[in-house]
Amino acid sequence: MNKTDDAYYIEAVRKGNVAAFSVLVERYQNMVYSLALKLLKKPEEAEEMAQDTFVKAYQKLDTYEGKSKFSTWLYSITYNACISELRKRRIEFKSLDDRQISDDDEQKMHDYYRETKKEDQEKYLNLALGKLPEDDQVLVTLYYYENQSMDEISMITGLTVSNIKVKIHRARKRMYALLHEMLHEEIYTLL
Amino acid sequence: MNKLDKQFEGLIKEISIDSPSKDFTLKVMNRIQAEAAVQHRPALQNYQPVISRKAWLIIGLAFCALLIYITVSGSDTATESTPGFWSKLLGSVETINSTGMTSIWQKGMNIFGNIPPVALLIMTASMALWTLDTYLTRLRHHSSKVNL
Repeated sequence: MNKTDDAYYIEAVRKGNVAAFSVLVERYQNMVYSLALKLLKKPEEAEEMAQDTFVKAYQKLDTYEGKSKFSTWLYSITYNACISELRKRRIEFKSLDDRQISDDDEQKMHDYYRETKKEDQEKYLNLALGKLPEDDQVLVTLYYYENQSMDEISMITGLTVSNIKVKIHRARKRMYALLHEMLHEEIYTLL
Repeated sequence: MNKLDKQFEGLIKEISIDSPSKDFTLKVMNRIQAEAAVQHRPALQNYQPVISRKAWLIIGLAFCALLIYITVSGSDTATESTPGFWSKLLGSVETINSTGMTSIWQKGMNIFGNIPPVALLIMTASMALWTLDTYLTRLRHHSSKVNL
């Protein structure tokens, strides 16, 4: 077992080396926090939720069988805890604006976006991502940023693979449309 | 992943992901250390009460014996024909029903009546807190076992 593997530290924690858990906390805190923030919106609540997630993961570590990646298991705890919290508050996700964009248009939008100043690109990307429904933001982040497979995302969210495919596809197109709109708005304001 | 997916992945990877406060790991590890301390406390893992059931039984019997002794020795109606403890006991059994309980109450009141009320209050509060602590500790131990 490699010292960089999650399994190495999980085993160490199981053997009583509690401090070994800090490696896992360091490794996954950004993604756990980021997922919680996308769903809960408020940084203080997201931080509290992220802390709770790690404590819960520590408590339940004996139940982790290693069939999935540790990150998948950890993100599923985060996602479910956030969803429970949102249900308690009776908050529902925004629905996605369902305008269809062809693949050709998507390619044009991508090229157009790439022509903008490098320093503006991240700002617009963040704005566009933030305008997606909360659950779609999570799906996009898990799939494109964290490289979780469709099956793993299904384990995390409880959604079916086909549903995830559709949602990710639509979210991607919607993001391009949003980027396009924002860039156009800026050009108009400059003119 | 198709070409459009790959392109989009490239974009998303350029976003810097949100991060929690700088002392996040410290905060989490403090909570986990506290959790671990509770989970691995030997007294909780192999819980053994300080006073066993057997000891409680002996204490109970001794207390009953003491009550009987107080009743017998305090009973004015005990027969004097056969001297000694057992004769007193036998003689007073008949009168326990009528006068014994009153005698116990009086003796008890004499003993506890001499204790200042503040001391009694402190004793009662201490016992209540100790009982609550024991109950909550057991409850926490039980729930943590269930979660694992």
